[in-house]
Amino acid sequence: MASISKAEKAFIQSSLLSDPPLRADSRGLIDFRTIALESGVAPIANGSARVSIGRNAQDGGGGTEVVAAAKLEVESVGDGEGADGGRVACSVSCSPTAYPLLSPNALDDLQHDMTSALNATLSHPTIRPTNLGIIPGKKSWLLNLDIIVFSDAGNIFDAIFMAARAALWDTKVPITKSVQYRAKKGETQAMDVDTDETALVGSALDTRQAIQVADFELPDYWDEGEPLDGRQAWPVCLTLNLLPTLHFLDATLQEEASVPLKLLVFYSFPSDATPLLRGMRLLGTGVSDLTQVKSLLKDGEKYARNVWVALEGKLKDEDFRRNQKARERFLNR
Amino acid sequence: MLSFISFSSQSTDSTYHRSARHHPDVEDLMDVDDDDFSGSEPRLTCPGETITSSQAFMRGHGTYVDKEDVIASVVGTVERVNKLVTVRAIRTRYNPEVGDLVVGRITEVQPRRWKVDANSRQDAILMLSSVNLPGGVQRRKLESDELQMRNFFEEGDLLVAEVQAFFSDGAMSLHTRSLKYGKLRNGQLVTVPPILVRRLKSHFISLPCGVDLILGLNGYIWVSKQAKDSDQGEEGFDAEAVYSNQNDDIDSATRAAISRVSNIIRVFADHFVPLTDTLLLEAYEWVIEQEGDAKRLLLGDTGDALVAAMSLRC
Repeated sequence: MASISKAEKAFIQSSLLSDPPLRADSRGLIDFRTIALESGVAPIANGSARVSIGRNAQDGGGGTEVVAAAKLEVESVGDGEGADGGRVACSVSCSPTAYPLLSPNALDDLQHDMTSALNATLSHPTIRPTNLGIIPGKKSWLLNLDIIVFSDAGNIFDAIFMAARAALWDTKVPITKSVQYRAKKGETQAMDVDTDETALVGSALDTRQAIQVADFELPDYWDEGEPLDGRQAWPVCLTLNLLPTLHFLDATLQEEASVPLKLLVFYSFPSDATPLLRGMRLLGTGVSDLTQVKSLLKDGEKYARNVWVALEGKLKDEDFRRNQKARERFLNR
Repeated sequence: MLSFISFSSQSTDSTYHRSARHHPDVEDLMDVDDDDFSGSEPRLTCPGETITSSQAFMRGHGTYVDKEDVIASVVGTVERVNKLVTVRAIRTRYNPEVGDLVVGRITEVQPRRWKVDANSRQDAILMLSSVNLPGGVQRRKLESDELQMRNFFEEGDLLVAEVQAFFSDGAMSLHTRSLKYGKLRNGQLVTVPPILVRRLKSHFISLPCGVDLILGLNGYIWVSKQAKDSDQGEEGFDAEAVYSNQNDDIDSATRAAISRVSNIIRVFADHFVPLTDTLLLEAYEWVIEQEGDAKRLLLGDTGDALVAAMSLRC
């Protein structure tokens, strides 16, 4: 992406291939830069997060910066793209300041590439959350996950997926209550609105309920609700930068420009099951063979688990910070 | 290997709240005072801060007029020339001046000229007539030179040059008509805010650890392996060597030193410390004394300790 000179490229490659391997900022091959994460950054979104990889500790400049926000929208099932049980739609947009050297067309292409990688992985039917349905066969939630790239200092895909996972972890789905229209006894003409307390659970006394549900209402405020289902399912991305005979993680822009091939792997690690490979992509001009990819997948799984564990710890910290600590601060005011 | 942190919240810094504040009207009265500019203390502004009255002064760069007041639009230092008040921004693109040494990157090859990104508002221009060509410094430019411009510099190449003049639109014109200038190799680039590079006697610094530094005034700093002395000299002008893309053999000790120096510069830039040759030398010695792993400079508190130690010495 970044244009670098042949001499710089050769310098980076020969440093990596020297013994011991050395990177521009003296990191180890599998070391990440510091990652900053904050959730709940967009007050009007149902869930949001901001991730920055490699930002300067003091002035907060530099680094790859990504903001993700999830917004829920009611959709009618059947017309248009609406699906029974809800769906997830992802989009990535890049700020022009993130890629000042790219033309608008090239920027569109790049956004499209990022969107397709994210959408293919997160909108997959197998990881669709179970609580996106509202009224079976009629209404459902459409979860729009929008990601903005504010600056790119390398390793953008890892940052996008981290922000996506953090925003989805943070997302709350409003609780809905079904409403049905029922004729009052003795007044066959007039219709009256009645709320159904038992909602979708169904009552043995009234068998008509399930089919007569016509609309829904929100018992709480729109920004309250239960966490989006499937916290364990949203994958993390790991980018393996491949320079023949070795691979390394969390490349800077210059390093990305000097490797011929990148392998993206999307892993999720459900607590009760074996790790799931949600997808993979090879980017770049180089080639790779199956045996190499197999061994890379093994390594990738190992590194991705580290990312997963660290991210999960941080997300729990964030939950704690925003709920319990905020409450204590409010009380001690 | 992998660490998550929180975004540090700037608002927790309580010094701002602790400092005594006047009623806005009182502050305005103080600001209109003419003697405000005559003091030797440089005055820092915040965007939106009232500097002075627009009736007594003219607004310059970095300011705007709202009703009766001249108001700063950027963070910076207030400067005054007669009745013209300007604010020189702290975070800004590079403002070139003739004679400055800059490090730039070729972005485009055009007829008889190269466009160079030099961290300025516009791309700089390097004319074919202002580079050294093979076969003698004083040779006339030929058509064949125009056809093989990519043999000299191509897109992405880094070069060190001097600001020669300005075009009418404000773009700078560069020249590399010295053996000190030309294409860069054997090293890596570090970028810092341009204001941190002070004007020095020489911007070519040789550190005793076998590392050469070129401090471009535009904030681009080239950290490379030390060039041999034999490469210098008017007689030894060799087009092959000057425009070569091949790196020399660099041993791992020098590579480690290059990356250590780069990290020191990054730490200073992060702490917003202006760079000078003595500071970099002392910092390198300090880091060697600590015998720390170079990567800890960027990750841990070592960077803070380095800056603290340097501020005591200098």
